[in-house]
Amino acid sequence: MTAEAPAFVAVAVVLLAASLGVVLTPNLFHAVLYLAVALVATGVVFLLLDAPFLFGVQLLLYAGGVVTIVVFAIMLTERLVGASIRQASRYLVNGALLSVAVFVGVVSFLVQMPASAPRPAWAADLTAAVGRALVGPFAVPFELLGVLLVIALLGALYFARTEG
Amino acid sequence: MPLGAYLTLAALVFAIGLFGVLTRRNAVGILLGIELMLNAVNINLVAFGRFHADLGGTIFSLFTISITVAEVAVGLAIVIVIFRVRRTIEADHLDLLRG
Amino acid sequence: MSAHVGAAPLALLVLGLPFASFLLLALARPVRRSAPAAATVSIGAITVSLLAAVLTIVTAVARPPRQSPSTTWWWIPADGGPMATVGVMVDDLSMWMLLLVTFVSLLVQVYSWAYLHDEPRASLGRYYAYHSLFAFSMLGLVLAPSFIQMFIFWELVGLCSYLLIGFWYDRPSAARAAVKAFWITKLGDLGFVAGIVMLWAVAGTFDFWTLFRMGAAGSLPADMLPPIMFLIYLGAVGKSAQFPLHVWLPDAMEGPTPVSALIHAATMVTAGVFMVTRAFPLFQLVPDVLTLIAWVGAGTALLAASMACVEDDIKRVLAYSTISQLGYMMAAAGAGAPDAGFLHLLVHGVFKALLFLGAGIVIHVFHTNDVFRMGGLRGHPRLWLPFLVATLALAGVPPLPGFFTKEAVLAGVFEGHLGWPFLMLALTAFLTAFYMFRVVFLTFFVRPHHAGHAHHHVPWLMTAVAWVLAVVTLAMGAQQAWHHQAEGPGWLPGVSVALAAAGIGLAWVMYQRPLVDPARMAAALRPIDWMARRRYGLDALFAGLYRVGLLAFSRLVGWIDRYLVDGVVNVLSAWTLRAGDRLRGLQSGQPQDYVYGIALGALLLFVIAQWRMR
Repeated sequence: MTAEAPAFVAVAVVLLAASLGVVLTPNLFHAVLYLAVALVATGVVFLLLDAPFLFGVQLLLYAGGVVTIVVFAIMLTERLVGASIRQASRYLVNGALLSVAVFVGVVSFLVQMPASAPRPAWAADLTAAVGRALVGPFAVPFELLGVLLVIALLGALYFARTEG
Repeated sequence: MPLGAYLTLAALVFAIGLFGVLTRRNAVGILLGIELMLNAVNINLVAFGRFHADLGGTIFSLFTISITVAEVAVGLAIVIVIFRVRRTIEADHLDLLRG
Repeated sequence: MSAHVGAAPLALLVLGLPFASFLLLALARPVRRSAPAAATVSIGAITVSLLAAVLTIVTAVARPPRQSPSTTWWWIPADGGPMATVGVMVDDLSMWMLLLVTFVSLLVQVYSWAYLHDEPRASLGRYYAYHSLFAFSMLGLVLAPSFIQMFIFWELVGLCSYLLIGFWYDRPSAARAAVKAFWITKLGDLGFVAGIVMLWAVAGTFDFWTLFRMGAAGSLPADMLPPIMFLIYLGAVGKSAQFPLHVWLPDAMEGPTPVSALIHAATMVTAGVFMVTRAFPLFQLVPDVLTLIAWVGAGTALLAASMACVEDDIKRVLAYSTISQLGYMMAAAGAGAPDAGFLHLLVHGVFKALLFLGAGIVIHVFHTNDVFRMGGLRGHPRLWLPFLVATLALAGVPPLPGFFTKEAVLAGVFEGHLGWPFLMLALTAFLTAFYMFRVVFLTFFVRPHHAGHAHHHVPWLMTAVAWVLAVVTLAMGAQQAWHHQAEGPGWLPGVSVALAAAGIGLAWVMYQRPLVDPARMAAALRPIDWMARRRYGLDALFAGLYRVGLLAFSRLVGWIDRYLVDGVVNVLSAWTLRAGDRLRGLQSGQPQDYVYGIALGALLLFVIAQWRMR
């Protein structure tokens, strides 16, 4: 798949740029928008990895749902009109150092990986297999996930209630 | 692209997300950083699944996405409540656990 | 000396009765609280002890040669024979001491009943308990067959002295005097115990008889013996108030007068002389130490006599007199005539006790100890006659016992070729007569300078005891005159009588019929007078040493304890608190700081994992 390499590079660049934008921009609202771009780029990476179903889910839930929630939250927690959504950053140098250190730590394991093998054979669309797996071997985690979502819903409702 | 490339990409995104968590003042900003880190984890999972022809990577990824969504929802609810109570969501001011 | 041996069971009876009395009085509070009961118990016990002592002497038999006069039982077992034994040694020396101690104890305890009549009842019970304990201790000391047993009783006697001197413990001066007596005698005791232990280390035994045999056979190391015997002598220096450890005796007069009569005249202070006499076969092996003993004894005698000449307190005069006479006894022992010293000890015990008890009488009459506030008792012979008898004895006027024994002492010193000590003792004899008659004239015969309270009614018990002692003194004098054999140079008796007469004459001239003004005499002898009045600075020296040495040392130790020892603990705890405080700062409450922590932890895990994989 020789077209994959430049595609990968392009997506990687977009993803990284958007990530940096998320963490560096002072304006929180812009950060959320950058996050949306990053999430979409991640979805494209999933595509490159032959997981189209996941690409769809990513777009729906992440780029759609999470971004929306965050935007709502920002609106509710910052003084709105005229108020600045600027925020300075805290101990940039320390944070940068630590992040770099963690990255180096992870990479130190990666460099010890054996020579890369090519991708094994893989069906293009395995959505049906995913579905069968979810109600098959992974049924219990799937159900538990449902419970978790109910709990989260209840929790959010509880927090959102008005006092009195 | 070899597996290593994807993993390196994920590590980079993870580090950037960590940087965001460590340096952002606003609580929502911290949550954004967490989002990035979780995304990186997903990339890792899917890459491994792909290169070992294991569907588990994708499925696990599904789960993490769902859980992340739930977590974001609850987390932001908490942030809103804090804002209601203390009129601020600057992380520096939320230090009631101080020793 | 030990030509006779007494029955051990009788001696144990003599010893045991006062102990039983003490136990009863110490443990049975109702008996002690009731003064008549306590007095009865104590006096009863000592009376029976006295009878047993007399019986011991009467039934004594000649000692077979080479047999130990001791009867002992094992005490501290060890390989190859016991390390220490307990028992009794009933020979001439101890039998006569038994008699002296029980006799004087009895008389003093009876006298105390009248003298301390105003004492609270419970206090009096305590007094008699102490007396019983003292009697037991002193008797145990004289009966000891070994150094270690003697030492134990030695310390017990010191304890009783402390208890009795400080009997009126709520008087600060009495409490101080008791502590001072204890401390000073303790200094001597340090030498004593060191000497005893060293002797045991070289000889392997504490037992007297065994040690004497070893000494006679020459199996004691000759180079170690002088320092050992010197150390043992130090115990006698403390207990018998030799220079320079004599300073406690005058202050010990803070105790009740009967106590002074018993322990600071007749018994406790004589323990040192007794010890030297008892251990004389060992001292004989170290002539240098003996010479030292003689010099120190003679010097002490002269020094104390000079201080007695300027004292106003009647009890203190008698205390100095005791120190002086103890010096005589020690000088005799040092000169090689321990028998003379011991004889002087016995007779001195009787008439010095009489002097103290007589002083108690005049103190009772005048309510003061100051001789310059007394006088005018010429018309009461029953008060001054016993005292005069004792004074004549002390001054050495024939045919009273003091004359014979003093002559024996002087003869012994002279025969021992100790020229300077002899002269010192001769001068002391003159001064003794002088200051004693000074006291007699001022106390009884001069016209009183002012009309003070004179309580002429004296309890008959007190005068009766004084008369008994006076009669015994006269009897002793008669007995000595009968058995007298002239010792020493022929001019000695005449010289000693002359010295006594000169002393009496000088006192007469200065105080009774004032022809010579004492103040002018004092001015003529200004340097000596000045020093004597200040006790030759010794008291001040000891007080200074105590303050500088001991108190400063204890203050230093206290400082170390407070600041170094406690300080270490305090610093550690302070550091702990501060460290805790600082560590607390780690919990900032900021969530991002905790994320830092997690990230650092993850890094650490990476490093460890890499290390493991290497």
